[in-house]
Amino acid sequence: MFLSVSRWTTILAIVRCGVILLVVRIKAAFRSRKTVLQMGMGVLFWLLLTGVSISQTETDKPVPILTGNIGTFSFVTGGHNVIDTQVNPVLLVPVGDKWLIESRAEFEGEFQRPPGGGPYGGPVDKHVDYAQLDYIANRFVTVTAGRFLTPFGIFNERLYPVWIRFLQPDPLIYPIRTAPSDGLMFRGGFAVSPKANMNYAVYFSATRIGIDSVDSERHVGGRMGFFLPGPRLEVGGSWQRTLQDYRKTAFGLHTGWQPAKLPMSIRAEYAHAYEGSGYWAESAYRLSQIHVWQKAMRRTEVVARAQQFFVGAIGASAEADFDLPDVNMREADFGVNYFFRDGLKGIASYGRQFSSEGNFNQWSFGLAYRFLLPLGRVSGAQGVQ
Amino acid sequence: MRTRSLIACLLWMLTMASAVFAGSRASKDAPVAPVVQAAEADNMRIEGERRYHANCGRCHAAPQKFPPRMMATVLRHMRVRATITDEDRRLILFYMTQ
Repeated sequence: MFLSVSRWTTILAIVRCGVILLVVRIKAAFRSRKTVLQMGMGVLFWLLLTGVSISQTETDKPVPILTGNIGTFSFVTGGHNVIDTQVNPVLLVPVGDKWLIESRAEFEGEFQRPPGGGPYGGPVDKHVDYAQLDYIANRFVTVTAGRFLTPFGIFNERLYPVWIRFLQPDPLIYPIRTAPSDGLMFRGGFAVSPKANMNYAVYFSATRIGIDSVDSERHVGGRMGFFLPGPRLEVGGSWQRTLQDYRKTAFGLHTGWQPAKLPMSIRAEYAHAYEGSGYWAESAYRLSQIHVWQKAMRRTEVVARAQQFFVGAIGASAEADFDLPDVNMREADFGVNYFFRDGLKGIASYGRQFSSEGNFNQWSFGLAYRFLLPLGRVSGAQGVQ
Repeated sequence: MRTRSLIACLLWMLTMASAVFAGSRASKDAPVAPVVQAAEADNMRIEGERRYHANCGRCHAAPQKFPPRMMATVLRHMRVRATITDEDRRLILFYMTQ
Protein backbone atom coordinates (compact mmCIF):
# COMPACT_ATOMS: atom_id res chain seq x y z
CA MET A 1 0.00 0.00 0.00
CA PHE A 2 1.20 3.49 0.76
CA LEU A 3 4.93 3.85 0.90
CA SER A 4 5.95 7.19 2.35
CA VAL A 5 9.43 8.66 1.90
CA SER A 6 10.31 7.44 5.37
CA ARG A 7 9.19 3.95 4.44
CA TRP A 8 11.32 4.03 1.30
CA THR A 9 14.35 5.12 3.30
CA THR A 10 13.54 2.39 5.76
CA ILE A 11 13.49 -0.14 2.95
CA LEU A 12 16.78 1.20 1.67
CA ALA A 13 18.22 0.83 5.14
CA ILE A 14 16.95 -2.72 5.28
CA VAL A 15 18.58 -3.49 1.94
CA ARG A 16 21.77 -1.88 3.18
CA CYS A 17 21.79 -4.03 6.29
CA GLY A 18 20.97 -7.07 4.19
CA VAL A 19 24.06 -6.44 2.08
CA ILE A 20 26.16 -6.07 5.20
CA LEU A 21 24.77 -9.30 6.57
CA LEU A 22 25.52 -11.03 3.29
CA VAL A 23 29.10 -9.78 3.26
CA VAL A 24 29.57 -10.90 6.81
CA ARG A 25 28.08 -14.25 5.91
CA ILE A 26 30.36 -14.67 2.93
CA LYS A 27 33.38 -13.88 5.04
CA ALA A 28 32.32 -16.68 7.30
CA ALA A 29 32.39 -14.48 10.34
CA PHE A 30 29.36 -16.40 11.48
CA ARG A 31 29.13 -20.13 11.50
CA SER A 32 25.53 -20.26 12.62
CA ARG A 33 22.91 -19.51 9.96
CA LYS A 34 20.29 -19.35 12.70
CA THR A 35 22.03 -16.42 14.37
CA VAL A 36 22.16 -14.51 11.09
CA LEU A 37 18.49 -15.22 10.46
CA GLN A 38 17.48 -14.10 13.92
CA MET A 39 19.51 -10.95 13.64
CA GLY A 40 18.13 -10.22 10.18
CA MET A 41 14.59 -10.62 11.46
CA GLY A 42 15.42 -8.31 14.34
CA VAL A 43 16.76 -5.70 11.92
CA LEU A 44 13.64 -5.91 9.77
CA PHE A 45 11.31 -5.69 12.73
CA TRP A 46 13.13 -2.71 14.21
CA LEU A 47 13.31 -0.77 10.97
CA LEU A 48 9.68 -1.41 10.05
CA LEU A 49 8.59 -0.27 13.47
CA THR A 50 10.72 2.82 13.06
CA GLY A 51 9.18 3.49 9.67
CA VAL A 52 5.66 3.15 11.02
CA SER A 53 6.27 5.43 13.95
CA ILE A 54 7.85 8.05 11.69
CA SER A 55 5.02 8.05 9.16
CA GLN A 56 2.44 8.35 11.91
CA THR A 57 3.99 11.48 13.32
CA GLU A 58 4.09 13.36 10.01
CA THR A 59 1.04 15.55 9.78
CA ASP A 60 1.28 17.29 6.41
CA LYS A 61 2.04 14.42 4.09
CA PRO A 62 -0.68 13.28 1.73
CA VAL A 63 -2.44 10.16 2.86
CA PRO A 64 -3.87 7.42 0.62
CA ILE A 65 -7.56 7.87 -0.02
CA LEU A 66 -10.42 5.67 -1.05
CA THR A 67 -13.02 7.83 -2.70
CA GLY A 68 -15.64 7.40 -5.38
CA ASN A 69 -19.36 7.39 -5.77
CA ILE A 70 -22.40 5.23 -5.38
CA GLY A 71 -25.54 5.78 -7.36
CA THR A 72 -28.84 4.15 -7.93
CA PHE A 73 -31.15 5.35 -10.65
CA SER A 74 -34.32 4.41 -12.37
CA PHE A 75 -34.31 5.14 -16.11
CA VAL A 76 -37.67 4.87 -17.82
CA THR A 77 -37.32 5.10 -21.62
CA GLY A 78 -40.46 4.72 -23.70
CA GLY A 79 -42.21 3.12 -20.74
CA HIS A 80 -39.45 0.55 -20.18
CA ASN A 81 -37.83 0.73 -16.76
CA VAL A 82 -34.15 -0.05 -16.09
CA ILE A 83 -32.73 0.15 -12.57
CA ASP A 84 -29.11 1.19 -12.79
CA THR A 85 -27.02 0.73 -9.66
CA GLN A 86 -23.34 1.48 -9.67
CA VAL A 87 -20.33 1.76 -7.42
CA ASN A 88 -17.22 3.52 -8.67
CA PRO A 89 -14.39 3.30 -6.14
CA VAL A 90 -11.34 5.47 -6.77
CA LEU A 91 -8.05 4.69 -5.06
CA LEU A 92 -5.47 7.45 -4.72
CA VAL A 93 -2.04 6.55 -3.38
CA PRO A 94 0.49 9.38 -3.23
CA VAL A 95 4.11 8.29 -3.11
CA GLY A 96 6.75 10.79 -2.11
CA ASP A 97 6.36 14.35 -3.29
CA LYS A 98 5.86 13.77 -7.00
CA TRP A 99 4.13 10.47 -7.58
CA LEU A 100 0.53 9.41 -7.56
CA ILE A 101 -0.97 6.01 -8.21
CA GLU A 102 -4.65 6.27 -9.08
CA SER A 103 -7.25 3.82 -10.18
CA ARG A 104 -10.99 3.69 -10.70
CA ALA A 105 -13.12 0.62 -11.07
CA GLU A 106 -16.74 0.44 -12.11
CA PHE A 107 -19.32 -2.03 -10.93
CA GLU A 108 -22.58 -1.36 -12.67
CA GLY A 109 -25.72 -3.45 -12.67
CA GLU A 110 -28.53 -2.80 -15.12
CA PHE A 111 -31.60 -4.58 -13.89
CA GLN A 112 -34.89 -4.89 -15.74
CA ARG A 113 -37.89 -7.16 -15.90
CA PRO A 114 -37.79 -9.95 -18.52
CA PRO A 115 -40.20 -9.52 -21.48
CA GLY A 116 -42.73 -11.96 -20.04
CA GLY A 117 -42.69 -10.35 -16.61
CA GLY A 118 -40.99 -11.43 -13.43
CA PRO A 119 -38.44 -10.07 -10.98
CA TYR A 120 -35.80 -7.54 -11.96
CA GLY A 121 -32.49 -9.03 -13.06
CA GLY A 122 -29.58 -8.40 -15.32
CA PRO A 123 -25.84 -8.40 -15.77
CA VAL A 124 -23.34 -6.61 -13.56
CA ASP A 125 -20.56 -5.03 -15.55
CA LYS A 126 -17.16 -4.89 -13.83
CA HIS A 127 -14.14 -3.18 -15.29
CA VAL A 128 -11.21 -0.92 -14.49
CA ASP A 129 -11.67 2.54 -15.97
CA TYR A 130 -8.12 3.57 -15.28
CA ALA A 131 -5.06 2.38 -13.41
CA GLN A 132 -2.27 4.84 -13.89
CA LEU A 133 0.98 6.05 -12.44
CA ASP A 134 1.50 9.81 -12.49
CA TYR A 135 4.84 11.52 -12.13
CA ILE A 136 4.64 15.28 -11.61
CA ALA A 137 7.97 16.12 -13.21
CA ASN A 138 7.72 19.88 -12.82
CA ARG A 139 5.13 22.64 -13.01
CA PHE A 140 4.77 22.16 -16.77
CA VAL A 141 4.73 18.41 -17.24
CA THR A 142 3.11 15.42 -15.63
CA VAL A 143 3.87 12.02 -17.10
CA THR A 144 1.17 9.36 -16.91
CA ALA A 145 1.66 5.70 -17.73
CA GLY A 146 -0.77 2.80 -17.68
CA ARG A 147 -4.45 2.72 -18.50
CA PHE A 148 -5.92 6.19 -18.44
CA LEU A 149 -9.11 7.97 -19.42
CA THR A 150 -8.76 9.30 -22.93
CA PRO A 151 -8.70 13.10 -22.81
CA PHE A 152 -11.02 13.69 -25.75
CA GLY A 153 -13.31 16.54 -24.76
CA ILE A 154 -13.99 17.15 -21.08
CA PHE A 155 -16.95 14.93 -20.20
CA ASN A 156 -15.02 11.67 -20.11
CA GLU A 157 -12.23 12.85 -17.84
CA ARG A 158 -13.87 15.41 -15.63
CA LEU A 159 -17.66 15.22 -15.73
CA TYR A 160 -18.37 11.50 -15.85
CA PRO A 161 -18.82 10.67 -12.10
CA VAL A 162 -22.48 10.48 -11.13
CA TRP A 163 -22.06 12.98 -8.27
CA ILE A 164 -20.59 15.54 -10.69
CA ARG A 165 -22.70 15.31 -13.84
CA PHE A 166 -25.73 17.57 -14.16
CA LEU A 167 -27.90 14.92 -15.81
CA GLN A 168 -27.49 11.19 -15.35
CA PRO A 169 -28.07 9.95 -18.93
CA ASP A 170 -24.82 10.04 -20.92
CA PRO A 171 -24.62 12.54 -23.78
CA LEU A 172 -25.29 10.89 -27.14
CA ILE A 173 -21.79 11.63 -28.41
CA TYR A 174 -20.07 10.39 -25.23
CA PRO A 175 -18.78 7.13 -26.80
CA ILE A 176 -16.89 8.99 -29.53
CA ARG A 177 -13.18 8.36 -28.95
CA THR A 178 -13.48 7.97 -25.19
CA ALA A 179 -12.61 4.30 -24.62
CA PRO A 180 -9.70 3.97 -22.16
CA SER A 181 -6.19 4.29 -23.54
CA ASP A 182 -3.31 2.02 -22.61
CA GLY A 183 -0.04 3.81 -23.05
CA LEU A 184 1.72 7.00 -22.14
CA MET A 185 0.54 10.57 -21.71
CA PHE A 186 2.18 13.93 -21.08
CA ARG A 187 -0.02 16.63 -19.64
CA GLY A 188 0.02 19.77 -17.59
CA GLY A 189 -1.48 23.12 -16.76
CA PHE A 190 0.33 26.38 -16.21
CA ALA A 191 -0.21 30.13 -16.36
CA VAL A 192 0.71 31.72 -19.68
CA SER A 193 -0.19 35.18 -18.39
CA PRO A 194 -1.72 36.58 -15.19
CA LYS A 195 -5.13 36.26 -16.85
CA ALA A 196 -4.89 32.93 -18.63
CA ASN A 197 -3.93 29.36 -17.87
CA MET A 198 -3.16 26.83 -20.53
CA ASN A 199 -3.66 23.09 -20.19
CA TYR A 200 -2.68 20.33 -22.54
CA ALA A 201 -2.51 16.56 -22.90
CA VAL A 202 -0.65 14.55 -25.51
CA TYR A 203 -0.97 10.78 -25.50
CA PHE A 204 -0.62 7.58 -27.41
CA SER A 205 -2.28 4.27 -26.81
CA ALA A 206 -0.44 1.10 -27.69
CA THR A 207 -3.53 -1.05 -27.35
CA ARG A 208 -7.14 -0.44 -26.60
CA ILE A 209 -9.41 -3.06 -25.26
CA GLY A 210 -13.13 -2.67 -25.05
CA ILE A 211 -14.60 -2.55 -28.54
CA ASP A 212 -14.55 -6.14 -29.70
CA SER A 213 -15.22 -5.56 -33.36
CA VAL A 214 -12.26 -3.26 -33.76
CA ASP A 215 -9.84 -5.45 -31.76
CA SER A 216 -7.02 -3.69 -30.08
CA GLU A 217 -6.29 -0.26 -31.40
CA ARG A 218 -3.39 2.10 -31.48
CA HIS A 219 -4.07 5.79 -31.54
CA VAL A 220 -2.45 9.08 -30.82
CA GLY A 221 -4.12 12.28 -29.72
CA GLY A 222 -4.06 15.47 -27.82
CA ARG A 223 -6.11 18.17 -26.19
CA MET A 224 -5.37 21.80 -25.49
CA GLY A 225 -7.40 24.34 -23.62
CA PHE A 226 -7.27 27.79 -22.12
CA PHE A 227 -8.91 28.84 -18.88
CA LEU A 228 -9.46 32.50 -18.08
CA PRO A 229 -9.88 32.68 -14.29
CA GLY A 230 -11.34 36.21 -14.38
CA PRO A 231 -14.45 35.52 -16.45
CA ARG A 232 -14.19 31.80 -15.54
CA LEU A 233 -14.29 30.84 -19.17
CA GLU A 234 -12.69 27.73 -20.60
CA VAL A 235 -12.29 26.83 -24.27
CA GLY A 236 -10.37 24.04 -25.88
CA GLY A 237 -10.08 21.43 -28.55
CA SER A 238 -9.17 17.77 -28.93
CA TRP A 239 -7.98 15.54 -31.75
CA GLN A 240 -7.24 11.89 -32.12
CA ARG A 241 -6.03 9.67 -34.94
CA THR A 242 -6.31 5.92 -35.02
CA LEU A 243 -3.14 4.24 -36.21
CA GLN A 244 -4.67 1.08 -37.56
CA ASP A 245 -7.86 -0.22 -39.19
CA TYR A 246 -9.70 2.73 -40.66
CA ARG A 247 -7.02 5.32 -39.67
CA LYS A 248 -9.29 8.29 -39.32
CA THR A 249 -8.85 11.54 -37.48
CA ALA A 250 -11.44 12.87 -35.07
CA PHE A 251 -11.61 16.27 -33.51
CA GLY A 252 -13.67 17.97 -30.85
CA LEU A 253 -14.30 21.31 -29.20
CA HIS A 254 -15.31 22.07 -25.66
CA THR A 255 -16.18 25.07 -23.57
CA GLY A 256 -17.31 25.91 -20.07
CA TRP A 257 -18.36 29.11 -18.36
CA GLN A 258 -19.29 29.91 -14.76
CA PRO A 259 -20.31 33.57 -14.55
CA ALA A 260 -19.03 35.01 -11.29
CA LYS A 261 -22.23 36.96 -10.57
CA LEU A 262 -24.64 34.11 -11.14
CA PRO A 263 -24.81 30.66 -9.52
CA MET A 264 -24.81 29.14 -12.96
CA SER A 265 -22.65 26.86 -15.03
CA ILE A 266 -22.73 26.37 -18.78
CA ARG A 267 -20.73 23.81 -20.75
CA ALA A 268 -20.76 22.27 -24.17
CA GLU A 269 -18.92 19.81 -26.37
CA TYR A 270 -18.77 19.06 -30.06
CA ALA A 271 -17.22 15.97 -31.62
CA HIS A 272 -16.67 14.99 -35.21
CA ALA A 273 -15.42 11.53 -36.12
CA TYR A 274 -15.67 8.85 -38.76
CA GLU A 275 -18.17 6.98 -36.60
CA GLY A 276 -20.43 9.97 -36.03
CA SER A 277 -20.64 13.53 -34.90
CA GLY A 278 -22.74 15.74 -32.72
CA TYR A 279 -22.88 18.15 -29.84
CA TRP A 280 -24.36 18.72 -26.42
CA ALA A 281 -24.83 21.91 -24.45
CA GLU A 282 -26.05 22.04 -20.88
CA SER A 283 -26.60 24.49 -18.11
CA ALA A 284 -27.23 24.32 -14.38
CA TYR A 285 -28.64 27.10 -12.23
CA ARG A 286 -28.60 26.99 -8.43
CA LEU A 287 -31.72 28.67 -7.05
CA SER A 288 -29.85 30.44 -4.24
CA GLN A 289 -30.94 33.87 -5.50
CA ILE A 290 -34.61 33.14 -4.91
CA HIS A 291 -35.73 34.66 -1.65
CA VAL A 292 -38.47 32.24 -0.67
CA TRP A 293 -37.72 28.94 1.08
CA GLN A 294 -34.09 29.95 0.99
CA LYS A 295 -32.75 26.92 2.81
CA ALA A 296 -34.28 24.57 0.26
CA MET A 297 -33.60 26.81 -2.72
CA ARG A 298 -29.89 27.03 -1.94
CA ARG A 299 -29.76 23.26 -2.24
CA THR A 300 -31.74 23.06 -5.45
CA GLU A 301 -30.35 23.16 -8.96
CA VAL A 302 -32.31 23.17 -12.20
CA VAL A 303 -30.58 21.81 -15.26
CA ALA A 304 -31.19 21.54 -18.98
CA ARG A 305 -29.39 19.91 -21.89
CA ALA A 306 -29.84 19.98 -25.65
CA GLN A 307 -27.99 17.57 -27.90
CA GLN A 308 -27.89 16.11 -31.36
CA PHE A 309 -26.16 13.15 -33.00
CA PHE A 310 -25.47 12.44 -36.67
CA VAL A 311 -24.65 8.95 -37.90
CA GLY A 312 -21.17 8.67 -39.35
CA ALA A 313 -19.75 7.05 -42.45
CA ILE A 314 -19.40 3.60 -40.87
CA GLY A 315 -23.07 2.86 -41.42
CA ALA A 316 -25.98 2.33 -39.11
CA SER A 317 -25.26 -1.34 -38.40
CA ALA A 318 -21.75 -0.62 -37.10
CA GLU A 319 -22.81 2.22 -34.82
CA ALA A 320 -23.96 -0.22 -32.16
CA ASP A 321 -20.39 -1.49 -31.83
CA PHE A 322 -19.49 1.95 -30.57
CA ASP A 323 -22.58 2.28 -28.33
CA LEU A 324 -23.78 5.07 -30.59
CA PRO A 325 -27.33 5.52 -31.92
CA ASP A 326 -27.87 3.92 -35.33
CA VAL A 327 -29.98 6.82 -36.60
CA ASN A 328 -29.74 10.57 -36.41
CA MET A 329 -31.14 11.70 -33.10
CA ARG A 330 -32.05 14.81 -31.14
CA GLU A 331 -32.74 15.02 -27.45
CA ALA A 332 -33.75 17.64 -24.91
CA ASP A 333 -33.54 17.06 -21.15
CA PHE A 334 -34.64 19.00 -18.11
CA GLY A 335 -33.92 18.10 -14.53
CA VAL A 336 -33.74 19.04 -10.89
CA ASN A 337 -30.92 18.16 -8.50
CA TYR A 338 -31.32 18.53 -4.76
CA PHE A 339 -28.19 18.52 -2.59
CA PHE A 340 -29.10 17.00 0.77
CA ARG A 341 -25.53 17.62 1.91
CA ASP A 342 -22.08 17.86 0.37
CA GLY A 343 -21.68 14.76 -1.75
CA LEU A 344 -25.27 13.51 -1.57
CA LYS A 345 -27.83 14.57 -4.11
CA GLY A 346 -31.18 13.44 -5.35
CA ILE A 347 -31.89 13.73 -9.06
CA ALA A 348 -34.96 13.78 -11.26
CA SER A 349 -35.08 14.52 -14.96
CA TYR A 350 -37.27 14.32 -18.00
CA GLY A 351 -36.08 14.13 -21.58
CA ARG A 352 -37.48 13.49 -25.02
CA GLN A 353 -35.68 11.79 -27.85
CA PHE A 354 -36.55 12.50 -31.47
CA SER A 355 -35.43 10.18 -34.26
CA SER A 356 -36.72 8.32 -37.31
CA GLU A 357 -37.18 5.27 -35.09
CA GLY A 358 -39.75 7.12 -33.05
CA ASN A 359 -39.97 9.70 -30.32
CA PHE A 360 -39.58 8.61 -26.71
CA ASN A 361 -39.87 10.08 -23.26
CA GLN A 362 -37.00 9.41 -20.91
CA TRP A 363 -37.45 9.82 -17.18
CA SER A 364 -34.81 9.35 -14.52
CA PHE A 365 -34.86 9.40 -10.74
CA GLY A 366 -32.22 8.48 -8.23
CA LEU A 367 -29.59 9.22 -5.65
CA ALA A 368 -25.87 9.88 -6.08
CA TYR A 369 -23.40 9.85 -3.22
CA ARG A 370 -19.71 10.68 -3.11
CA PHE A 371 -17.60 9.14 -0.37
CA LEU A 372 -14.08 9.99 0.74
CA LEU A 373 -12.21 7.86 3.24
CA PRO A 374 -8.60 8.16 4.40
CA LEU A 375 -6.54 4.97 4.36
CA GLY A 376 -4.19 6.21 7.01
CA ARG A 377 -4.00 8.49 9.95
CA VAL A 378 -5.09 12.07 9.34
CA SER A 379 -4.54 15.05 11.55
CA GLY A 380 -7.30 17.39 12.65
CA ALA A 381 -10.93 16.59 13.17
CA GLN A 382 -12.64 18.43 10.38
CA GLY A 383 -15.65 16.85 8.81
CA VAL A 384 -14.87 13.54 7.24
CA GLN A 385 -17.70 11.80 5.51
CA MET B 1 33.35 -16.44 20.09
CA ARG B 2 34.66 -12.97 20.95
CA THR B 3 34.84 -12.08 17.24
CA ARG B 4 31.26 -13.18 16.83
CA SER B 5 30.09 -10.98 19.68
CA LEU B 6 32.07 -8.08 18.32
CA ILE B 7 30.54 -8.41 14.88
CA ALA B 8 27.08 -8.81 16.40
CA CYS B 9 27.53 -5.58 18.34
CA LEU B 10 28.82 -3.86 15.24
CA LEU B 11 25.81 -5.00 13.24
CA TRP B 12 23.44 -3.88 15.94
CA MET B 13 25.04 -0.44 15.96
CA LEU B 14 24.75 -0.28 12.18
CA THR B 15 21.11 -1.22 12.45
CA MET B 16 20.45 1.52 14.96
CA ALA B 17 22.35 4.03 12.86
CA SER B 18 20.33 3.06 9.79
CA ALA B 19 17.10 3.48 11.70
CA VAL B 20 18.12 6.90 12.95
CA PHE B 21 19.26 7.84 9.45
CA ALA B 22 15.94 6.72 8.01
CA GLY B 23 14.12 8.91 10.51
CA SER B 24 16.25 11.94 9.87
CA ARG B 25 15.93 11.61 6.07
CA ALA B 26 12.19 11.34 6.38
CA SER B 27 11.86 14.40 8.52
CA LYS B 28 13.94 16.36 5.99
CA ASP B 29 11.78 15.20 3.10
CA ALA B 30 8.54 15.92 4.89
CA PRO B 31 6.94 19.17 3.68
CA VAL B 32 7.34 21.89 6.19
CA ALA B 33 4.28 23.97 7.00
CA PRO B 34 4.73 27.36 5.39
CA VAL B 35 5.71 30.04 7.85
CA VAL B 36 3.94 33.15 6.68
CA GLN B 37 3.15 36.46 8.23
CA ALA B 38 -0.45 37.16 9.23
CA ALA B 39 -1.06 39.68 6.45
CA GLU B 40 0.47 37.40 3.87
CA ALA B 41 -1.60 34.53 5.18
CA ASP B 42 -4.76 36.60 4.80
CA ASN B 43 -3.85 37.43 1.22
CA MET B 44 -3.10 33.81 0.46
CA ARG B 45 -6.39 32.76 2.00
CA ILE B 46 -8.36 35.28 -0.06
CA GLU B 47 -6.52 34.35 -3.23
CA GLY B 48 -6.89 30.66 -2.40
CA GLU B 49 -10.65 31.06 -1.94
CA ARG B 50 -10.95 32.89 -5.25
CA ARG B 51 -9.03 30.20 -7.09
CA TYR B 52 -10.95 27.50 -5.27
CA HIS B 53 -14.27 28.80 -6.58
CA ALA B 54 -12.88 29.47 -10.07
CA ASN B 55 -11.17 26.10 -10.50
CA CYS B 56 -13.31 23.63 -8.56
CA GLY B 57 -16.52 25.15 -9.94
CA ARG B 58 -15.46 24.29 -13.48
CA CYS B 59 -16.65 20.73 -12.86
CA HIS B 60 -18.49 20.31 -9.59
CA ALA B 61 -20.10 21.98 -6.62
CA ALA B 62 -17.58 23.24 -4.11
CA PRO B 63 -16.84 20.47 -1.60
CA GLN B 64 -16.41 20.88 2.12
CA LYS B 65 -13.02 21.04 3.81
CA PHE B 66 -11.22 17.85 4.76
CA PRO B 67 -8.19 17.27 6.99
CA PRO B 68 -4.91 18.58 5.54
CA ARG B 69 -3.43 15.19 4.66
CA MET B 70 -6.57 14.27 2.72
CA MET B 71 -6.73 17.64 0.99
CA ALA B 72 -3.09 17.25 -0.07
CA THR B 73 -3.98 13.98 -1.82
CA VAL B 74 -7.17 15.33 -3.38
CA LEU B 75 -5.34 18.34 -4.78
CA ARG B 76 -2.53 16.22 -6.18
CA HIS B 77 -5.25 14.21 -7.91
CA MET B 78 -6.82 17.42 -9.23
CA ARG B 79 -3.41 18.67 -10.36
CA VAL B 80 -3.36 15.69 -12.71
CA ARG B 81 -7.04 15.18 -13.52
CA ALA B 82 -8.15 18.79 -13.94
CA THR B 83 -4.70 20.11 -14.96
CA ILE B 84 -4.89 22.93 -12.44
CA THR B 85 -1.67 24.87 -12.18
CA ASP B 86 0.84 24.24 -9.43
CA GLU B 87 0.24 27.70 -7.99
CA ASP B 88 -3.52 27.13 -7.94
CA ARG B 89 -2.95 23.83 -6.17
CA ARG B 90 -0.72 25.47 -3.57
CA LEU B 91 -3.09 28.36 -2.83
CA ILE B 92 -6.23 26.23 -2.79
CA LEU B 93 -4.50 23.78 -0.43
CA PHE B 94 -3.57 26.69 1.83
CA TYR B 95 -7.15 27.97 1.84
CA MET B 96 -8.68 24.53 2.34
CA THR B 97 -6.46 23.68 5.28
CA GLN B 98 -6.91 26.87 7.27
